[in-house]
Amino acid sequence: MAKALYIDYQKCTGCRLCELVCSVFHDGISNPARSRIRVIKWEAEGLYIPMSCQQCQDAPCMNVCPVKAIYMDHDLERIVVDYDKCIGCRSCVAVCPFGAMNFNVYDRKVFKCDFCDGEPQCVRFCDEKAVDYVEVDDVSILKKRNAALRVSRAGKEASTLMAQI
Amino acid sequence: MTPEKDGISTAESLRSTRTYGKIRCHNPTCMERLEPKKGDKTIKCPTCGMEFRLAWVKDGFPRIRGPVWETNRKIAEEELSRKLKQKEGK
Amino acid sequence: MSLDRKIAYIDLSTGDIQTKAIPLEVRRKFLGGRGLDAYLLYNHTTQGCDPIGPDNALMVSGGFLCATCASATSRTHVMAKSPLTGLLGSANMGGFFSPEMAWAGFHHLVIKGKAEHPVYIYIHNGEIEIRDARDLWGLSVTEAQWAIRDKLGDQEVKSMVCGPAGENLVRYANVMTGIKNAGGRTGMGCVMGSKNLKAVAVRGTMDIPIAHPKEALEFNKRFIDQIVSAKVNQTQGTLGTPFIWGATNSWGGIRTRNFQYNQCEYADDIEPERLDEIATETMGPYHMTGCFGCQVHCRAQYKIPDGPYAGRYDEGPEYTSQGAFCGETDTPRATTLLTANHLVDQYGVDNLEIGSLISWAMELYELGIITSKDTDGVDLRFGNDEAVIEMIDRICQRKGWLADALADGGVAASKKIGKDSFSYLIQVKGMSNLHSDERATPALALNIATSSRGSDHLRSRPAIDLYHLPEPVMRRIYSSPVPYDGPLSSEHTEYIGKAWQVFWHENCYMAVDCLGICKYHTTFLGATLPNFEDWAKVIYYNTGLEFTPQEIWGVAERCNNLERLFNLREGLTKDDPEKGDVLNHRYHDEPARRGALDVIGRVIEKDKFIKMRSELYEHKGWNEDGLPTPETLKRLGIDAEPSHLV
Repeated sequence: MAKALYIDYQKCTGCRLCELVCSVFHDGISNPARSRIRVIKWEAEGLYIPMSCQQCQDAPCMNVCPVKAIYMDHDLERIVVDYDKCIGCRSCVAVCPFGAMNFNVYDRKVFKCDFCDGEPQCVRFCDEKAVDYVEVDDVSILKKRNAALRVSRAGKEASTLMAQI
Repeated sequence: MTPEKDGISTAESLRSTRTYGKIRCHNPTCMERLEPKKGDKTIKCPTCGMEFRLAWVKDGFPRIRGPVWETNRKIAEEELSRKLKQKEGK
Repeated sequence: MSLDRKIAYIDLSTGDIQTKAIPLEVRRKFLGGRGLDAYLLYNHTTQGCDPIGPDNALMVSGGFLCATCASATSRTHVMAKSPLTGLLGSANMGGFFSPEMAWAGFHHLVIKGKAEHPVYIYIHNGEIEIRDARDLWGLSVTEAQWAIRDKLGDQEVKSMVCGPAGENLVRYANVMTGIKNAGGRTGMGCVMGSKNLKAVAVRGTMDIPIAHPKEALEFNKRFIDQIVSAKVNQTQGTLGTPFIWGATNSWGGIRTRNFQYNQCEYADDIEPERLDEIATETMGPYHMTGCFGCQVHCRAQYKIPDGPYAGRYDEGPEYTSQGAFCGETDTPRATTLLTANHLVDQYGVDNLEIGSLISWAMELYELGIITSKDTDGVDLRFGNDEAVIEMIDRICQRKGWLADALADGGVAASKKIGKDSFSYLIQVKGMSNLHSDERATPALALNIATSSRGSDHLRSRPAIDLYHLPEPVMRRIYSSPVPYDGPLSSEHTEYIGKAWQVFWHENCYMAVDCLGICKYHTTFLGATLPNFEDWAKVIYYNTGLEFTPQEIWGVAERCNNLERLFNLREGLTKDDPEKGDVLNHRYHDEPARRGALDVIGRVIEKDKFIKMRSELYEHKGWNEDGLPTPETLKRLGIDAEPSHLV
């Protein structure tokens, strides 16, 4: 069964270790500009959201590519760029609704998350598990569990309030 | 010299000396190892008599939150006057 | 790779900017960060220069491993001659500033001169510009940072700023970055203010190639596992640094009412567990945040729950704020703590120094040495929460006679206040002590008395001395990387062997500051955390440079001696109550009154303390007067300073 990145941004501490290990793993270089995952921050509110490729089923980057260099690799359920075909036109960068397709100004190439061929380093290094690598059909059940817990807590708080009245 | 690539360092080898589930009495010359039961809120040191309030970082991971204030104040005042008297007596 | 990061010399008077490579020889001798800063300070200032004049040089740096694939290489170091002490000024902060500076191509900045009007320095991918900051002057720490981002149209810019306290030349103003990452102590923000320098803004996307990326990645994983599996870091990652309060206050190690008590009683409202509740209530269950590349995440997020600043967002509070605004002043209330913490973050002032001076003034007020006439009617009694908040505002704005005096630091203020006010001032080398009470812990007392930037717990504190480690474990830690077969004692109230522990930690902390790694990732609060042996590997995998653990130790010793040379040049003598390696007399004369049974009644015995200090000098290769001997300087290769290698 294929896996997907499950990002629970509430758990993110904003440390950006994921960016560091991503660029070192892929390019042997420390530079967040080369990272496939980026933590977007609103420091004034303490809000940090890791953003990466969603590996869309009907991927706009794949659809827009004029030379059909982007395809779905069904083994890992990931969208892959074939660099032998890629002409570097950056149409995919322009069309991606998540900003997850990047362009590397040093090597003049587009790049995106490739799940590190099955062992995502961002997940391996994130002690908080703000980024996790889980079975695709587990994502929604995990979210259900978290939401259910919130509903239950809200219910308990409401009943306490009722009791106070 | 090329740094030894494998081999574990002193810090790593000391990892096995870590203890879990226990805390030490905060009286420096006592330092008795105390092992509170799950969920305990206070603990009294059987050796020196000091009493502490407990907090739990997580299950199986207790820590001392602070002293039990009343017991603490009483012990402190008695001990200080005893020691000051002892000093005068010398 | 990180070895090709440059050094920039910026003259704010003339606008002249020079950049240079850092020769390998210099790297091998001083690594980077604090060590190389110390070298630059010694070389780029002259004896007796005015700390708030154009001749003082402000060094800003990232560590040697900054932004490499090593854990928590976030630390920014700032150094200059201190406007507070007239000796070494040095501040270290976390956050995201120095990695961004490294990606922008620089490891070290040397800023001299004074701009005609407020300016900020903008560094981006190898380019340096001095820009107008007249519209930023007067803005608070966060306002200034967000304004710079808006001006530059780039939300990824990281800035290091001075707040209103620095602009008003409060002698212990901080440099700040982010919400609350503070380069505190010794007034580096005051030096920025004196140069009309509001901020240094950086943005970089330049590559830092890793020498052995696969190995660096794998070793980093191992390093992080070692760090996050430590109990101390798990506790810290849940409760933040306030976790230290629990143990320290219960055994009697918190200075309370200036120095009258050593325990803050009935402090339930500011205990770490209570602060954790507030953070959870206001920011949700996942409220911990971290600096660059760090998995310890020791900083809490919170919103002030009530009071005049209710609803404001901030981070922390740290252990130092608890002591400064609750313990020393005896105001253990969460609202006071969180409000005061927010104010000092926004003014950009040292929490520890300002809290300590307020508590000193409170004792003087209760003794009648200062009166309500001096305080403009502020009722400076201990336990008065409103007075604490009021005094923070007044000092940072230099409003009123007393506040203006206190803004110049304790020693200067004691001269204005007169009488015997100085004898109540808990300081070393003109810098206030942390709120910790070291009367039961001679090793810690020796640390604060001898540390290079004045009373300081981050220079050589053997904090693990309190853990009563079995002697064989201690021996394994303290006889590496250089052999030691002298005495060691597991008993923290002892004086035996403590000088070696202080010496060992001094070198350990210098090395970690040179590398730019956080102290929570080394043998500071946890005995099983990495040090010299592990760093040799981290350096090799990341830069390809080969260092033995002994060589790293040597670098640390060299840099510590350079700091000593600077202090001696600027007038340190070992027994000078204002500039020496001595403690306030109360450590020796007043017995501890609270805490654990064994702590009660303790003092630091002066004769034993002096003996311990002499032992420490000997370990360091210094003579009886605390001067490095010519042999020591020769052995370390610093017998011809200043040598102007960079």
